[in-house]
Amino acid sequence: MSLPGLVLSLADNKQLLGLRYAEWATRAPSLEADIAAAAMGLDDLGHSRVLYGCLEPLGEDPRGPERETDPASHRALPYFDQPWTSWPQFVAANAVLDTAFSVMIEACVDGGVEVLRSRLRKMLSEERYHFLHGRSWLKAGIDHEPLDEAWRQAVEWFGPPDGDVAGLRRQGSLSMGPGELAARLEERLERAAPPLEVDWSAWDPARRRGRPGSIDGRTFEMLRGLEEKRFYPAGA
Amino acid sequence: MSERAFTRVHGSVREYEVFARKQRIEPLRLIGSVVAPDDDLAAAYARATYDEERWIEMAIVPRAAITTLWAPGQDDQP
Repeated sequence: MSLPGLVLSLADNKQLLGLRYAEWATRAPSLEADIAAAAMGLDDLGHSRVLYGCLEPLGEDPRGPERETDPASHRALPYFDQPWTSWPQFVAANAVLDTAFSVMIEACVDGGVEVLRSRLRKMLSEERYHFLHGRSWLKAGIDHEPLDEAWRQAVEWFGPPDGDVAGLRRQGSLSMGPGELAARLEERLERAAPPLEVDWSAWDPARRRGRPGSIDGRTFEMLRGLEEKRFYPAGA
Repeated sequence: MSERAFTRVHGSVREYEVFARKQRIEPLRLIGSVVAPDDDLAAAYARATYDEERWIEMAIVPRAAITTLWAPGQDDQP
């Protein structure tokens, strides 16, 4: 995959992460957590807009017309396919996946591509608070099931040891390869990843995920701007 | 100053006062408070709750760390 393909994957994942965070803005365990969910959702939606805006300067926009009709053309991880039904799912995404995306952004900011070095830097200062939020809730303890799933998907998202991200690292576009990204993630979270065996033969290199599926229909309609039409006056 | 007891999601939480300023020439001033089990979450909550304005500095302090010398309604004011 090209660097624009990776940036599009990052953008699509940030967009879905932001939407899923926002869905918890009135359902989190405390008022403070509600507000944090809303604020983090806004941050990540904003980050996705910045990332989409990097595609043209990178010289290639991999988005095609199929994105209007095929939800599986979006490149978000399986973790975001459906709305989260429990707070531990939120915490695992916040702690592990959001931090995994930040670690990749670090690799872009410290890499050799100027548009990413300059435009993504500010995201890291905002992401610091997402990290503090996720790590603190993680320390409070959550079920291991969503946590293990988030770890698996983070490792899959970084890609195979000899794959595209490793190639971008060798070219100097990124400052870290898959192994270094995973190690940085473990270091940040102050815990080791659970034992994982990834079947890379089933891995989709465009969507950076190990299993098929797509975002739910309502979210897909929202992304296309159709959901809001339900609120239009009749005949509009 | 006594620390209020909160029984919420976390077993033990503290109240933190949030201070901020918009310009270097201003002193930090109290803009609100948050309740959290630790400093990290308090920082995340303070930033999420009070970041609507363009502060150049924001800080949090556990309310329990503040020693009140006197306050309205108390008799021991000098």
